[in-house]
Amino acid sequence: MININAIHKSFGDVEVLKGVSLTVAKGEVVCLIGPSGSGKSTVLRCINGLESYDQGSITINDRQVDVASKDINDLRTQVGMVFQRFNLFPHRTVVENVMEGPIFVKNEPRETAHANAIALLEKVGLGDKVEAYPQQLSGGQQQRVAIARALAMQPEAILFDEPTSALDPELVGDVLIVMRDLANEGMTMVVVTHEMGFAKEVADRVCFLYGGQIVESGDAHTLLTQPTHERTQDFLRRVLNH
Amino acid sequence: MEFSDITAFLPILLKGALITVQITIGALLLSTLLGLLLALMKLSPVRALSLTAGTFINVVRGLPIIVQLFYIYFVLPELGIQLSAFQASIIGLGVAYSAYQAENFRAGIEAIEAGQIEAARSIGMKSKLIMRRVVLPQAIRIALPPYGNTAVMILKDSSLASTITVAEMTRAGQLIAASTFQNTTVYTLVALLYLCLSLPLIFGVNRLERYFGKSAKGGKA
Repeated sequence: MININAIHKSFGDVEVLKGVSLTVAKGEVVCLIGPSGSGKSTVLRCINGLESYDQGSITINDRQVDVASKDINDLRTQVGMVFQRFNLFPHRTVVENVMEGPIFVKNEPRETAHANAIALLEKVGLGDKVEAYPQQLSGGQQQRVAIARALAMQPEAILFDEPTSALDPELVGDVLIVMRDLANEGMTMVVVTHEMGFAKEVADRVCFLYGGQIVESGDAHTLLTQPTHERTQDFLRRVLNH
Repeated sequence: MEFSDITAFLPILLKGALITVQITIGALLLSTLLGLLLALMKLSPVRALSLTAGTFINVVRGLPIIVQLFYIYFVLPELGIQLSAFQASIIGLGVAYSAYQAENFRAGIEAIEAGQIEAARSIGMKSKLIMRRVVLPQAIRIALPPYGNTAVMILKDSSLASTITVAEMTRAGQLIAASTFQNTTVYTLVALLYLCLSLPLIFGVNRLERYFGKSAKGGKA
Protein backbone atom coordinates (compact mmCIF):
# COMPACT_ATOMS: atom_id res chain seq x y z
CA MET A 1 0.00 0.00 0.00
CA ILE A 2 2.77 2.42 1.00
CA ASN A 3 5.88 2.01 -1.06
CA ILE A 4 9.01 3.97 -0.21
CA ASN A 5 11.86 3.50 -2.61
CA ALA A 6 15.34 4.76 -1.78
CA ILE A 7 14.42 8.27 -0.64
CA HIS A 8 17.06 10.83 0.16
CA LYS A 9 16.46 14.06 1.99
CA SER A 10 18.76 16.87 3.07
CA PHE A 11 18.18 19.86 5.31
CA GLY A 12 20.79 22.26 4.01
CA ASP A 13 24.10 20.43 4.10
CA VAL A 14 22.87 17.70 6.40
CA GLU A 15 21.62 14.58 4.72
CA VAL A 16 19.00 13.19 7.10
CA LEU A 17 17.73 10.35 4.90
CA LYS A 18 20.28 8.34 2.95
CA GLY A 19 18.27 5.97 0.83
CA VAL A 20 15.41 4.67 2.94
CA SER A 21 13.23 1.96 1.43
CA LEU A 22 10.18 0.53 3.11
CA THR A 23 7.05 -1.25 1.96
CA VAL A 24 3.97 -1.35 4.13
CA ALA A 25 1.22 -3.76 3.15
CA LYS A 26 -2.45 -3.15 3.79
CA GLY A 27 -3.32 -3.98 7.39
CA GLU A 28 0.28 -4.10 8.47
CA VAL A 29 1.62 -2.34 11.56
CA VAL A 30 5.20 -1.15 11.19
CA CYS A 31 7.10 0.53 14.01
CA LEU A 32 10.08 2.75 13.30
CA ILE A 33 12.55 2.93 16.16
CA GLY A 34 15.93 4.53 16.54
CA PRO A 35 17.81 7.28 18.34
CA SER A 36 16.71 10.88 17.91
CA GLY A 37 18.05 12.41 14.74
CA SER A 38 18.03 9.04 12.98
CA GLY A 39 15.42 10.29 10.49
CA LYS A 40 12.41 8.25 11.58
CA SER A 41 10.06 11.23 11.94
CA THR A 42 11.27 12.62 8.64
CA VAL A 43 10.35 9.37 6.89
CA LEU A 44 6.87 9.65 8.34
CA ARG A 45 6.50 13.28 7.32
CA CYS A 46 7.61 12.47 3.79
CA ILE A 47 4.89 9.81 3.45
CA ASN A 48 2.06 12.33 3.66
CA GLY A 49 3.96 15.16 2.05
CA LEU A 50 4.56 17.38 5.07
CA GLU A 51 8.18 17.20 3.97
CA SER A 52 9.43 16.87 0.43
CA TYR A 53 12.15 14.39 -0.47
CA ASP A 54 15.06 14.99 -2.83
CA GLN A 55 15.48 11.61 -4.52
CA GLY A 56 13.70 8.30 -4.76
CA SER A 57 9.97 7.80 -4.75
CA ILE A 58 7.03 7.28 -2.44
CA THR A 59 3.75 5.88 -3.68
CA ILE A 60 0.50 5.31 -1.85
CA ASN A 61 -1.69 2.80 -3.66
CA ASP A 62 0.52 3.39 -6.71
CA ARG A 63 -0.05 7.14 -6.64
CA GLN A 64 3.09 9.23 -6.41
CA VAL A 65 3.46 11.45 -3.32
CA ASP A 66 4.53 14.82 -4.65
CA VAL A 67 4.27 17.87 -2.40
CA ALA A 68 3.98 20.20 -5.37
CA SER A 69 1.13 18.37 -7.07
CA LYS A 70 -2.55 19.22 -6.73
CA ASP A 71 -3.13 15.58 -5.87
CA ILE A 72 -1.40 15.89 -2.51
CA ASN A 73 -4.46 17.02 -0.55
CA ASP A 74 -6.43 14.08 -1.86
CA LEU A 75 -3.63 11.70 -0.90
CA ARG A 76 -3.48 13.22 2.57
CA THR A 77 -7.14 12.37 3.14
CA GLN A 78 -6.15 8.73 2.63
CA VAL A 79 -3.29 8.79 5.11
CA GLY A 80 -4.04 10.22 8.53
CA MET A 81 -1.41 11.60 10.86
CA VAL A 82 -1.18 11.78 14.63
CA PHE A 83 1.41 14.15 16.02
CA GLN A 84 3.59 14.08 19.11
CA ARG A 85 2.08 17.34 20.35
CA PHE A 86 -1.51 16.50 19.33
CA ASN A 87 -2.00 19.76 17.38
CA LEU A 88 -5.72 19.96 18.07
CA PHE A 89 -7.44 23.17 17.01
CA PRO A 90 -7.68 25.10 20.30
CA HIS A 91 -10.52 27.36 19.14
CA ARG A 92 -12.86 24.46 18.40
CA THR A 93 -14.52 21.96 20.68
CA VAL A 94 -13.55 18.31 20.70
CA VAL A 95 -16.40 17.28 18.40
CA GLU A 96 -15.73 20.22 16.06
CA ASN A 97 -12.10 19.14 15.81
CA VAL A 98 -13.23 15.72 14.65
CA MET A 99 -15.88 17.10 12.26
CA GLU A 100 -13.61 19.69 10.64
CA GLY A 101 -12.16 17.43 7.94
CA PRO A 102 -15.34 15.57 7.00
CA ILE A 103 -17.35 18.79 6.66
CA PHE A 104 -14.83 21.11 5.04
CA VAL A 105 -12.67 18.70 3.07
CA LYS A 106 -15.05 15.88 2.23
CA ASN A 107 -18.17 18.07 2.15
CA GLU A 108 -20.17 15.67 4.27
CA PRO A 109 -23.50 16.97 5.62
CA ARG A 110 -23.11 18.34 9.14
CA GLU A 111 -25.53 15.80 10.69
CA THR A 112 -23.65 12.82 9.24
CA ALA A 113 -20.29 14.25 10.25
CA HIS A 114 -21.58 14.97 13.76
CA ALA A 115 -23.00 11.47 14.23
CA ASN A 116 -19.76 9.89 12.98
CA ALA A 117 -17.67 12.16 15.19
CA ILE A 118 -19.69 11.22 18.28
CA ALA A 119 -19.33 7.52 17.45
CA LEU A 120 -15.57 7.89 17.02
CA LEU A 121 -15.20 9.82 20.26
CA GLU A 122 -17.12 7.11 22.08
CA LYS A 123 -14.83 4.56 20.51
CA VAL A 124 -11.75 6.30 21.92
CA GLY A 125 -13.45 6.60 25.30
CA LEU A 126 -14.31 10.31 25.20
CA GLY A 127 -18.07 10.21 24.67
CA ASP A 128 -18.47 12.51 27.68
CA LYS A 129 -16.05 15.17 26.43
CA VAL A 130 -17.52 16.09 23.05
CA GLU A 131 -18.32 19.69 23.95
CA ALA A 132 -15.11 20.37 25.87
CA TYR A 133 -12.27 22.47 24.48
CA PRO A 134 -8.93 20.71 23.96
CA GLN A 135 -7.23 22.67 26.74
CA GLN A 136 -9.68 21.23 29.26
CA LEU A 137 -8.45 17.73 28.53
CA SER A 138 -5.38 15.83 29.69
CA GLY A 139 -2.64 15.10 27.17
CA GLY A 140 -3.79 11.51 26.82
CA GLN A 141 -7.36 12.60 26.14
CA GLN A 142 -6.17 15.17 23.60
CA GLN A 143 -4.16 12.53 21.80
CA ARG A 144 -7.20 10.28 21.61
CA VAL A 145 -9.19 13.18 20.11
CA ALA A 146 -6.40 13.57 17.58
CA ILE A 147 -6.72 9.88 16.70
CA ALA A 148 -10.49 10.31 16.31
CA ARG A 149 -9.86 13.34 14.08
CA ALA A 150 -7.59 11.27 11.86
CA LEU A 151 -10.08 8.37 11.78
CA ALA A 152 -12.94 10.69 10.81
CA MET A 153 -11.40 11.04 7.36
CA GLN A 154 -11.70 7.25 6.98
CA PRO A 155 -8.07 6.96 5.99
CA GLU A 156 -6.55 3.78 4.66
CA ALA A 157 -3.53 4.21 6.88
CA ILE A 158 -2.52 6.31 9.87
CA LEU A 159 0.95 7.59 10.63
CA PHE A 160 1.83 8.10 14.30
CA ASP A 161 4.74 10.42 15.09
CA GLU A 162 5.83 9.57 18.65
CA PRO A 163 2.23 9.72 19.83
CA THR A 164 3.01 9.10 23.49
CA SER A 165 6.30 10.98 23.89
CA ALA A 166 4.67 14.18 25.17
CA LEU A 167 2.46 12.38 27.68
CA ASP A 168 2.78 11.86 31.40
CA PRO A 169 3.65 8.21 32.00
CA GLU A 170 0.29 7.35 33.56
CA LEU A 171 -1.57 8.61 30.46
CA VAL A 172 0.39 6.60 27.93
CA GLY A 173 -1.59 3.41 28.47
CA ASP A 174 -4.96 4.76 27.34
CA VAL A 175 -3.53 5.97 24.06
CA LEU A 176 -1.70 2.71 23.42
CA ILE A 177 -4.90 0.74 24.06
CA VAL A 178 -6.72 2.76 21.39
CA MET A 179 -3.83 2.19 18.99
CA ARG A 180 -3.76 -1.54 19.72
CA ASP A 181 -7.51 -1.77 19.07
CA LEU A 182 -7.03 -0.01 15.75
CA ALA A 183 -4.27 -2.42 14.82
CA ASN A 184 -6.50 -5.36 15.71
CA GLU A 185 -9.23 -3.97 13.45
CA GLY A 186 -6.80 -4.14 10.57
CA MET A 187 -5.78 -0.49 10.24
CA THR A 188 -2.54 0.04 8.37
CA MET A 189 -0.22 1.88 10.72
CA VAL A 190 3.28 3.28 10.65
CA VAL A 191 4.35 4.22 14.15
CA VAL A 192 7.44 6.12 15.23
CA THR A 193 7.76 5.19 18.87
CA HIS A 194 9.97 4.66 21.86
CA GLU A 195 7.44 2.28 23.42
CA MET A 196 9.25 -1.01 22.93
CA GLY A 197 6.52 -2.91 24.77
CA PHE A 198 3.94 -1.65 22.31
CA ALA A 199 6.19 -2.43 19.36
CA LYS A 200 6.76 -5.96 20.60
CA GLU A 201 3.09 -6.60 21.25
CA VAL A 202 1.42 -4.89 18.31
CA ALA A 203 3.86 -4.40 15.45
CA ASP A 204 4.10 -6.88 12.61
CA ARG A 205 7.47 -5.46 11.74
CA VAL A 206 10.00 -3.18 13.36
CA CYS A 207 12.59 -1.11 11.50
CA PHE A 208 15.60 0.31 13.27
CA LEU A 209 16.88 3.54 11.79
CA TYR A 210 20.32 4.93 12.40
CA GLY A 211 21.98 7.86 10.65
CA GLY A 212 19.31 8.18 8.00
CA GLN A 213 19.21 4.53 7.02
CA ILE A 214 17.25 1.46 8.00
CA VAL A 215 20.06 -0.66 9.35
CA GLU A 216 17.89 -3.56 10.45
CA SER A 217 14.30 -4.62 10.10
CA GLY A 218 12.36 -7.73 10.82
CA ASP A 219 9.44 -9.15 12.73
CA ALA A 220 8.98 -7.38 16.02
CA HIS A 221 9.84 -10.22 18.35
CA THR A 222 13.04 -11.23 16.60
CA LEU A 223 14.35 -7.72 16.12
CA LEU A 224 13.65 -6.64 19.66
CA THR A 225 14.96 -9.77 21.36
CA GLN A 226 17.71 -10.96 19.02
CA PRO A 227 18.98 -7.97 17.07
CA THR A 228 21.87 -8.83 14.77
CA HIS A 229 23.27 -5.38 14.04
CA GLU A 230 25.62 -3.88 16.56
CA ARG A 231 23.86 -0.48 16.46
CA THR A 232 20.50 -2.07 17.15
CA GLN A 233 21.90 -4.07 20.04
CA ASP A 234 23.46 -0.96 21.48
CA PHE A 235 20.27 1.10 21.08
CA LEU A 236 18.02 -1.55 22.59
CA ARG A 237 20.34 -2.02 25.53
CA ARG A 238 20.12 1.68 26.29
CA VAL A 239 16.36 1.92 25.86
CA LEU A 240 15.45 -1.22 27.76
CA ASN A 241 17.85 -0.73 30.66
CA HIS A 242 17.01 2.81 31.64
CA MET B 1 -17.20 78.83 33.38
CA GLU B 2 -20.90 79.42 32.95
CA PHE B 3 -23.45 76.67 32.67
CA SER B 4 -25.17 78.55 29.86
CA ASP B 5 -21.90 78.44 27.91
CA ILE B 6 -21.86 74.66 28.20
CA THR B 7 -25.41 74.28 26.93
CA ALA B 8 -24.60 76.63 24.08
CA PHE B 9 -21.37 74.88 23.05
CA LEU B 10 -22.43 71.30 23.56
CA PRO B 11 -24.72 70.90 20.49
CA ILE B 12 -21.98 72.22 18.20
CA LEU B 13 -19.38 69.95 19.76
CA LEU B 14 -21.72 66.95 19.55
CA LYS B 15 -22.17 67.61 15.84
CA GLY B 16 -18.40 67.53 15.61
CA ALA B 17 -18.32 64.36 17.68
CA LEU B 18 -20.62 62.68 15.16
CA ILE B 19 -18.14 63.46 12.37
CA THR B 20 -15.29 62.25 14.59
CA VAL B 21 -17.11 58.94 15.01
CA GLN B 22 -17.79 58.68 11.28
CA ILE B 23 -14.15 59.31 10.40
CA THR B 24 -13.01 56.81 13.03
CA ILE B 25 -15.33 54.06 11.80
CA GLY B 26 -14.51 54.74 8.16
CA ALA B 27 -10.76 54.77 8.77
CA LEU B 28 -10.97 51.69 11.01
CA LEU B 29 -12.80 49.71 8.33
CA LEU B 30 -10.45 50.82 5.59
CA SER B 31 -7.34 50.13 7.69
CA THR B 32 -8.70 46.69 8.65
CA LEU B 33 -9.33 45.57 5.07
CA LEU B 34 -6.16 47.10 3.70
CA GLY B 35 -4.14 45.89 6.70
CA LEU B 36 -5.34 42.31 6.28
CA LEU B 37 -4.52 42.41 2.59
CA LEU B 38 -1.05 43.82 3.32
CA ALA B 39 -0.42 41.21 6.02
CA LEU B 40 -1.36 38.35 3.68
CA MET B 41 0.78 39.89 0.92
CA LYS B 42 3.73 40.29 3.25
CA LEU B 43 3.50 36.64 4.32
CA SER B 44 3.05 35.44 0.75
CA PRO B 45 5.73 33.17 -0.69
CA VAL B 46 5.54 35.28 -3.87
CA ARG B 47 8.48 37.63 -3.41
CA ALA B 48 7.05 40.45 -5.49
CA LEU B 49 3.99 40.59 -3.24
CA SER B 50 5.86 40.49 0.05
CA LEU B 51 8.35 43.07 -1.17
CA THR B 52 5.60 45.43 -2.35
CA ALA B 53 3.73 45.11 0.93
CA GLY B 54 6.89 45.51 3.00
CA THR B 55 7.90 48.66 1.14
CA PHE B 56 4.43 50.15 1.39
CA ILE B 57 4.26 49.45 5.13
CA ASN B 58 7.68 51.00 5.79
CA VAL B 59 7.00 54.12 3.72
CA VAL B 60 3.62 54.71 5.35
CA ARG B 61 5.03 54.10 8.85
CA GLY B 62 7.88 56.47 8.10
CA LEU B 63 5.65 59.42 7.25
CA PRO B 64 3.81 61.64 9.73
CA ILE B 65 0.07 61.11 9.36
CA ILE B 66 -0.48 64.84 9.03
CA VAL B 67 1.83 64.94 6.01
CA GLN B 68 -0.11 62.06 4.44
CA LEU B 69 -3.35 63.97 4.99
CA PHE B 70 -1.91 67.12 3.40
CA TYR B 71 -0.67 65.06 0.48
CA ILE B 72 -4.03 63.48 -0.15
CA TYR B 73 -6.02 66.68 0.32
CA PHE B 74 -3.72 69.26 -1.30
CA VAL B 75 -1.53 67.33 -3.75
CA LEU B 76 -3.88 64.75 -5.25
CA PRO B 77 -6.21 67.43 -6.70
CA GLU B 78 -3.26 68.66 -8.75
CA LEU B 79 -3.08 65.16 -10.20
CA GLY B 80 -6.77 65.35 -11.02
CA ILE B 81 -8.09 63.40 -8.02
CA GLN B 82 -10.65 65.53 -6.20
CA LEU B 83 -11.67 64.43 -2.73
CA SER B 84 -13.79 66.17 -0.12
CA ALA B 85 -11.97 66.94 3.11
CA PHE B 86 -14.10 64.28 4.83
CA GLN B 87 -13.20 61.62 2.25
CA ALA B 88 -9.55 62.63 2.34
CA SER B 89 -9.42 62.28 6.12
CA ILE B 90 -10.91 58.76 6.04
CA ILE B 91 -8.59 57.64 3.27
CA GLY B 92 -5.56 59.32 4.83
CA LEU B 93 -6.09 57.84 8.29
CA GLY B 94 -7.19 54.49 6.83
CA VAL B 95 -4.08 54.14 4.71
CA ALA B 96 -1.77 55.42 7.44
CA TYR B 97 -3.15 52.94 9.97
CA SER B 98 -3.32 50.04 7.52
CA ALA B 99 0.45 49.74 7.98
CA TYR B 100 0.05 49.29 11.74
CA GLN B 101 -2.92 46.97 11.27
CA ALA B 102 -0.89 44.89 8.84
CA GLU B 103 1.79 44.44 11.49
CA ASN B 104 -0.86 43.54 14.09
CA PHE B 105 -2.34 40.89 11.81
CA ARG B 106 1.02 39.57 10.70
CA ALA B 107 2.14 39.12 14.29
CA GLY B 108 -1.12 37.27 14.99
CA ILE B 109 -0.76 34.99 12.01
CA GLU B 110 2.89 34.27 12.70
CA ALA B 111 2.10 33.36 16.29
CA ILE B 112 0.14 30.31 15.13
CA GLU B 113 2.19 27.17 15.70
CA ALA B 114 3.42 25.33 12.63
CA GLY B 115 1.82 22.21 14.10
CA GLN B 116 -1.63 23.73 13.58
CA ILE B 117 -1.01 24.09 9.88
CA GLU B 118 0.51 20.62 9.64
CA ALA B 119 -2.49 19.10 11.40
CA ALA B 120 -4.83 20.89 9.00
CA ARG B 121 -2.78 19.73 6.03
CA SER B 122 -2.78 16.18 7.32
CA ILE B 123 -6.56 16.05 7.00
CA GLY B 124 -6.31 17.31 3.43
CA MET B 125 -7.15 20.98 3.94
CA LYS B 126 -5.93 23.36 1.26
CA SER B 127 -4.05 26.59 1.98
CA LYS B 128 -7.04 28.93 1.66
CA LEU B 129 -9.22 26.73 3.83
CA ILE B 130 -6.45 26.48 6.43
CA MET B 131 -6.15 30.26 6.46
CA ARG B 132 -9.91 30.70 6.89
CA ARG B 133 -10.70 27.90 9.34
CA VAL B 134 -7.50 27.41 11.34
CA VAL B 135 -5.10 30.36 11.12
CA LEU B 136 -7.26 33.49 10.98
CA PRO B 137 -9.71 32.56 13.77
CA GLN B 138 -6.76 32.03 16.11
CA ALA B 139 -4.79 34.99 14.77
CA ILE B 140 -7.73 37.33 15.36
CA ARG B 141 -7.76 36.43 19.06
CA ILE B 142 -4.06 37.19 19.29
CA ALA B 143 -4.32 40.38 17.23
CA LEU B 144 -7.34 41.71 19.11
CA PRO B 145 -5.61 43.61 21.92
CA PRO B 146 -3.27 45.51 19.56
CA TYR B 147 -6.22 45.97 17.18
CA GLY B 148 -8.22 47.61 19.95
CA ASN B 149 -5.32 49.90 20.78
CA THR B 150 -5.08 50.86 17.13
CA ALA B 151 -8.80 51.68 17.09
CA VAL B 152 -8.35 54.00 20.07
CA MET B 153 -5.40 55.68 18.35
CA ILE B 154 -7.44 56.20 15.18
CA LEU B 155 -10.19 57.81 17.25
CA LYS B 156 -7.71 60.22 18.78
CA ASP B 157 -5.84 60.89 15.55
CA SER B 158 -9.10 61.67 13.75
CA SER B 159 -8.52 65.11 15.34
CA LEU B 160 -5.82 65.56 12.68
CA ALA B 161 -8.65 65.93 10.18
CA SER B 162 -9.15 69.38 11.71
CA THR B 163 -6.00 70.45 9.87
CA ILE B 164 -7.64 69.85 6.50
CA THR B 165 -10.83 71.74 7.42
CA VAL B 166 -13.04 68.84 8.47
CA ALA B 167 -15.44 70.14 11.14
CA GLU B 168 -14.91 67.23 13.49
CA MET B 169 -14.87 67.71 17.24
CA THR B 170 -11.43 69.31 17.66
CA ARG B 171 -12.07 71.73 14.80
CA ALA B 172 -15.51 72.55 16.21
CA GLY B 173 -13.83 73.33 19.53
CA GLN B 174 -11.20 75.52 17.86
CA LEU B 175 -13.90 77.50 16.06
CA ILE B 176 -15.91 78.10 19.24
CA ALA B 177 -12.81 79.00 21.24
CA ALA B 178 -11.65 81.43 18.59
CA SER B 179 -14.93 83.30 18.60
CA THR B 180 -15.71 83.21 22.36
CA PHE B 181 -12.24 83.06 24.00
CA GLN B 182 -13.73 80.49 26.42
CA ASN B 183 -10.66 78.28 26.06
CA THR B 184 -10.98 76.49 29.38
CA THR B 185 -14.63 75.62 28.98
CA VAL B 186 -14.33 74.60 25.35
CA TYR B 187 -11.23 72.44 25.57
CA THR B 188 -12.33 70.83 28.83
CA LEU B 189 -15.56 69.86 27.10
CA VAL B 190 -13.66 68.58 24.06
CA ALA B 191 -11.38 66.51 26.27
CA LEU B 192 -14.32 65.06 28.23
CA LEU B 193 -16.16 64.20 25.03
CA TYR B 194 -13.09 62.38 23.66
CA LEU B 195 -12.96 60.38 26.89
CA CYS B 196 -16.67 59.59 26.50
CA LEU B 197 -15.81 58.04 23.15
CA SER B 198 -12.47 56.40 23.92
CA LEU B 199 -13.12 54.92 27.37
CA PRO B 200 -16.10 52.77 26.27
CA LEU B 201 -13.99 51.61 23.34
CA ILE B 202 -11.14 50.67 25.68
CA PHE B 203 -13.53 48.83 28.02
CA GLY B 204 -15.19 47.12 25.05
CA VAL B 205 -11.85 45.84 23.80
CA ASN B 206 -10.96 44.59 27.28
CA ARG B 207 -14.23 42.68 27.45
CA LEU B 208 -13.76 41.16 24.00
CA GLU B 209 -10.25 40.15 25.01
CA ARG B 210 -11.56 38.36 28.07
CA TYR B 211 -14.33 36.70 26.03
CA PHE B 212 -11.98 35.47 23.32
CA GLY B 213 -9.35 34.57 25.88
CA LYS B 214 -11.89 32.36 27.62
CA SER B 215 -13.10 30.48 24.56
CA ALA B 216 -9.57 30.14 23.22
CA LYS B 217 -8.46 28.63 26.50
CA GLY B 218 -11.71 26.74 26.72
CA GLY B 219 -12.78 28.14 30.10
CA LYS B 220 -16.07 27.22 31.70
CA ALA B 221 -18.14 28.53 28.80
